[in-house]
Amino acid sequence: MTDAAINAAEAALPAIPKEESPFTRFRKAFVEDKVAVAGLILFLIIVSLALLAPWITPQNPYDLRSVDIMDSRLPPGATMGEGFTSWLGTDGVGRDLYSGILYGLRISLMVGVLSGIIAASVGMAVGLTAAYAGGRVETVLMRIVDLQLSLPAVLIALILVAALGKGVDKIIFALVVVQWAYYARTVRGTALVERRKEYVEAAQSLGLSNARVVFRHIMPNCLAPVIVIITVQTAHAIALEATLSFLGVGLPQTEPSLGVLIANGFQYMLSGKYWISVFPGLALLLTIVSINLMGDRIRDVLNPRLEK
Amino acid sequence: MTTTLRQLALATAATLALTGAAGAQELKVGLSAEPSSLDPHYHNLSPNNMLTEHVFEGLVNQDPKQALEPGLAESWKAVDDTTWEFKLRRGVKFFDGSDFTADDVIATFKRLPAVPRSPSSFAPFIAGLTTEKVDSHTIRIKTAAPAPLVPTNLSTFGIVSKACAETMSTEDFNALKCQGGTGPFKYTEFKPGDRVVMERNNAYWGKKPDWEKVSFRFLTAAPTRVAAMLAGDVDVIEGVPPSDMARLKTNANLSVVEELSNRVIYFHMDHFRETSPFITAKDGSPIKNPLRDVRVRQALSMAINRQAIVERIMEGAAVPAEQVLPASFFGTSKTLKPTAFDLAGARKLLADAGYPNGFKMKMHGPNGRYTNDTKIIEAVAQMFTRLGIDTELETIPPANFFTRASQGANGEPEFSFILVGWGAGTGETSGSLLALLGTFDRAKGSGGANRGRYSNKTFDDKLAEALRTVDDAKRAVLLAEVSEIGMKDVGIIPTHYQTNAWASKKGIKVTARADEYTLAMGISR
Repeated sequence: MTDAAINAAEAALPAIPKEESPFTRFRKAFVEDKVAVAGLILFLIIVSLALLAPWITPQNPYDLRSVDIMDSRLPPGATMGEGFTSWLGTDGVGRDLYSGILYGLRISLMVGVLSGIIAASVGMAVGLTAAYAGGRVETVLMRIVDLQLSLPAVLIALILVAALGKGVDKIIFALVVVQWAYYARTVRGTALVERRKEYVEAAQSLGLSNARVVFRHIMPNCLAPVIVIITVQTAHAIALEATLSFLGVGLPQTEPSLGVLIANGFQYMLSGKYWISVFPGLALLLTIVSINLMGDRIRDVLNPRLEK
Repeated sequence: MTTTLRQLALATAATLALTGAAGAQELKVGLSAEPSSLDPHYHNLSPNNMLTEHVFEGLVNQDPKQALEPGLAESWKAVDDTTWEFKLRRGVKFFDGSDFTADDVIATFKRLPAVPRSPSSFAPFIAGLTTEKVDSHTIRIKTAAPAPLVPTNLSTFGIVSKACAETMSTEDFNALKCQGGTGPFKYTEFKPGDRVVMERNNAYWGKKPDWEKVSFRFLTAAPTRVAAMLAGDVDVIEGVPPSDMARLKTNANLSVVEELSNRVIYFHMDHFRETSPFITAKDGSPIKNPLRDVRVRQALSMAINRQAIVERIMEGAAVPAEQVLPASFFGTSKTLKPTAFDLAGARKLLADAGYPNGFKMKMHGPNGRYTNDTKIIEAVAQMFTRLGIDTELETIPPANFFTRASQGANGEPEFSFILVGWGAGTGETSGSLLALLGTFDRAKGSGGANRGRYSNKTFDDKLAEALRTVDDAKRAVLLAEVSEIGMKDVGIIPTHYQTNAWASKKGIKVTARADEYTLAMGISR
């Protein structure tokens, strides 16, 4: 048959209705749940506030020149030494809490998202390798994962950060260490199922390299659960970072994340200066809730067992 | 069946009645720190020493202002320049019924250097002393050189009976096996992490305390302690945080007492390295250690607004500091004044020293060792930034911080500029001056806490002279001069003296102490 003939034959076939892309399907399913949409909107607002922080806050809380202890412990609505109004009050060293919270959100979100992405990459690589290689490699890798999962995350992170010192990079490293195992175990489970499917056999019989089979063929089919874990774990990582900072081992005092801000106000809780802890706490709460609301819906949509 | 029930009911009633009666004379105290052991000679640490004083008395006591007063020794005098004679109290009995004599004192002296694995020994307090028993209740102490501080040093540790000193290990003391104390109280229970309970020693030789039973609960988190006080779970708390002071003071059911502390909060600077690890030019290139120039040290001291720290961070619960101890203590200079805040003057000094554009410095400090420590160091970082020094800071959990500040990876102090505090256990300046500013020399016991390695021959010589001077008045003058030398050379930068505060239920009177100790003997109703 010539090309022309094939084209003609194709044209003669009845038109196949164009199938929706998986993303469109996902989007449509996601927006069915109004609570999840509210979560998404809230999250987008929080992210944009954090990104715009340098332009919409009256003070750069990281610049020690602009923070003055004479402004410390001012109640919400007070006027600061430099003339602007501090709508959420100031903390114990004179930091405007509104500015502090927005800058703190930047750090908290960055730490959460970055550590989530890195941990997901590491975890996926380990999980896929284990599932595809099988045998002793799998046993060794999965026992490491078991070991990791049997230790409480806060404890490991605490020890790591105490040993490494303070700093954003160290926190991210510690959070990756405590998170990668979740991804590894989940991905291995999915990949074990995928590995026995015909398309993998087909790819192998074409003589493709193992790496190509794993990363180009198997991996894309394991992504759905990973996306679900990323959302859950990001919220978890943000909370964990806040915990570490609250305990005084997380981020430096001069570059406060939400956890540091909450810790700063903790000692004032009984003396009536509620705003120092409560507002950063509220910001942390809203961030985590918004991510979890989205995460729940994503899990429902991507879980084939729950499909109608 | 009915009999059993009745018995049970009776037993319960009896127990309730007993607890009720005990409750009437029981004192519950919330402490801010926990002891590392109940062995009186294991670890020279305030929380340990404080509890020890209830059970194992010293030859010499310190009154609430840390002046010396008779303890197990009725009196003492310097026979000549190198001999002290102590008359021991007669008729004092240990808990086990045996008599207190000179033999017990000698056995205690023997035990001090022999406690295994002691993290901070009491041995330096008796180093170079030889004891001689004159009779059963007289003891002579010979020193190699004139040693005016012998009575002061003997006030730092408690005497245990010969039987305990010779047979008991630290573990035995922790298990409350030693009945060789003479104090107004004896231990009945020790639950690490929770509480220490004591009961009154009804055979005590001195004034009997008001309480039959005292339980000291470890409430190390300040908000927890305050909450327990407000809820009425405890009768007394120590370490009232400045942030809660106003609230507790206005509470009609509570009273608060305050006392200026023997603790100075200050900065150590790197005096001993040509280039300091945490100081660079603003572009990050290495520079010569600027802290070795006295003008830079003066500039840094002048850039600190001490009044602002006291008012805004300590909320009034502190006093600006000018030397190692408040001027009311023995051996202080009466002419030194806290360095006045003068930013313009500080900038000029910095420029004169060759740093018109400042430099870059990282400061370190503990988080949670001293009242508001992280906030103080952050406030000072703000002030230095205004002076033109790019300041970074790192606060580190205390245990880790102190190890690294004393001995880093290479055995030298690791940091360039640190916040620390120092409480004068002896209640006079010589101990602080020697530990903080004396040239570091482990063999001589000098510079033990000199984490900046300040070293000044004039200072050392004058201090040595003071330490040889037995006459109190002359020694006080010499020590004042030593203080002035160290402070004018800015060996350390003192910021403030803490105020200690206790809160108690109305009707319970707490004697405020300069050494931060909470003693049940000093609490009355």
